[in-house]
Amino acid sequence: MHDDQSRTQYEDHGRIRPEHRGPSRREFLKTAGAAIAVPYVITSSALGNEERPPASDRIVMAGIGIGNMGRGDCESFLGRGDVQYVAASDVRKGARDWAKARVDKHYQNGDCQTYNDFREILARGDIDAVHIATPDHWHAIMVIEACRQGKDVYCQKPETRTLREGPLMIAAARRYARVVSGGSQRVLEDYRDTVNKCWAGELGTIKSINVNVGPLSQLCNLPAEATPPEIDWELWLGPAPWAPYNKARCDGNFSTAGNSWRSYIDYSGGGMTDWGAHHFGGATFAVDVRELQPREIEYHDEKEGKFLTYKYPNGLLLTHNRPQTGNLQVEGTPGEEIAAKAVPSYKGDGGIYGDFIECVKTREKPFRDIELAVNTVAVSHLGIIAYELQRSLKWDAARQEFPGDAEANRFLDRARREPWVL
Amino acid sequence: MLDQAFEALKTYDWGADRNQLLPIEEAVITTRDDAAARQALEARIAALLAADVSRDAKDFACRMLMIIGSAAAVPALAALLPEHDESHMARYALERIPADEAARALREALPKASGPLKVGIIGSLGVRRDTASVPALAASLADSDAAVARAAATALGNIGTPEAAKALAASRSTNADVKLAATDARLACADSLLAAGKKSEALVLYKSLAGEDQPKHVRLAGTRGMLACAGKAQ
Repeated sequence: MHDDQSRTQYEDHGRIRPEHRGPSRREFLKTAGAAIAVPYVITSSALGNEERPPASDRIVMAGIGIGNMGRGDCESFLGRGDVQYVAASDVRKGARDWAKARVDKHYQNGDCQTYNDFREILARGDIDAVHIATPDHWHAIMVIEACRQGKDVYCQKPETRTLREGPLMIAAARRYARVVSGGSQRVLEDYRDTVNKCWAGELGTIKSINVNVGPLSQLCNLPAEATPPEIDWELWLGPAPWAPYNKARCDGNFSTAGNSWRSYIDYSGGGMTDWGAHHFGGATFAVDVRELQPREIEYHDEKEGKFLTYKYPNGLLLTHNRPQTGNLQVEGTPGEEIAAKAVPSYKGDGGIYGDFIECVKTREKPFRDIELAVNTVAVSHLGIIAYELQRSLKWDAARQEFPGDAEANRFLDRARREPWVL
Repeated sequence: MLDQAFEALKTYDWGADRNQLLPIEEAVITTRDDAAARQALEARIAALLAADVSRDAKDFACRMLMIIGSAAAVPALAALLPEHDESHMARYALERIPADEAARALREALPKASGPLKVGIIGSLGVRRDTASVPALAASLADSDAAVARAAATALGNIGTPEAAKALAASRSTNADVKLAATDARLACADSLLAAGKKSEALVLYKSLAGEDQPKHVRLAGTRGMLACAGKAQ
């Protein structure tokens, strides 16, 4: 029984079948040109009009992971005239069916292709960019493979599941000069008041900022349930340890209380990474350390509770769950005036999605460039390790290791289930 | 409490109360400064791997050994590498145990493995950047199983040494997936060599990937690498 299952999984998921590679855009146009010898109607949409650029100038996109966040991302890109949305991938048939119905209705055609296996999308030569909104344990593998295939990527937060994944994702993006954006719109949009005050110099030199967020994710030991035929369970698990299907294990709701994948360590860091990507992202943006990673994480276990102090190389302190301290509460230097700095913002029109698309066109770095996103989630991961080990840590950001700390270095990564390799 | 937790592991399975095992999780952390207690705990957890307990119980044991496992736990973990249900969780511990014995166990398991389990072992050796496995990984590049060859390419890219780069350059696979992984791995090797100051070796690699026979984004990567070797802004 197991041998059969293994073989099926291996044959289905261990490789990309070359016959599924699609034509490049150039190849497609060449083919289309030949086809024009027969009667052919060129629509105004294809040629472009006042609202839409011609088809050849649109960014051809596809979505991977069409659950709660993926549907929102799909809608946002679909609503843009400069995007042609052509395909979607999800291991759940219901999600695939939703995507096809939604996209086909939007374009009034039946062209949207759907796939169970994301690699079939990445192998298509006609797709310029993908958005990824799978559970977190998939992000690194998908982003890196997309870069290898020459795609630009919009990846939902939290972008990484382990510390090791971050530099690999950045390296892939830089190696192939890809535009890779993280996905938190809240970093810029939810904390404007704090951001503006800090960047305007109104608070003087910033000494510290606090973030309140949690909880940490847990091991999952839910009982086995019958696997619904609509889900490819092996591919949902992918690189995560094998476990039996349970609806609460893989549900995509936003809870971290035990009834969603966001609750469990094999797929998520819990609220610490999920909301942490927003709050730590907003905090490090507000106090302008988003290009840095902490060099020390102090663990406090006091009567009021457990909390952390992250120390940055420039002296800035970032505290986590500091008692009697509000979320994004800033300690500045009263009475001191410092020079104002221009607050970075999105490029193009349409929020974080427009920022990504504009950068795909111009090849600039997006507001949530993958390096900045990785730095944010690193804060979450470093904190989780400190809480797990119940002690303070030193962190060498350049070497991406805990110097001289073999115990902590074990937590840099976790082995991926075969046949997934990173 | 600890004894009760180990007793619970004998019948532990998916759906059981996870809180029963918390004393073991706590002991894994609190024995940090008590070498004898930690050694005893490690031995007790490792013994579970050969016992008649559920896959879930062994899964838990491997997670604990990922944190505290030493060379002493390696034989018990290595015994699981050929097992379909347990190979991954054995690697879950072995990949992160710093002892040389862990790398040796993975290397020794490699020639006996095939299919997805071999892919997994190769992946773990790559993550460990195990330079001693380069000859075996080089041989795996020519494996008739494309998934094995692809994994070997990625592992060699992670290792990133001149020897790894040389092995990758010798790859003659015509499989599209293997070629893609090998190309990326060669660029990863070049990046590693450049970062280590070995510009001339890196340049050879970048130049070999900057030709018209490569996809546009690969040509771009090769060209940017060449510029970096020349000390010019990318």
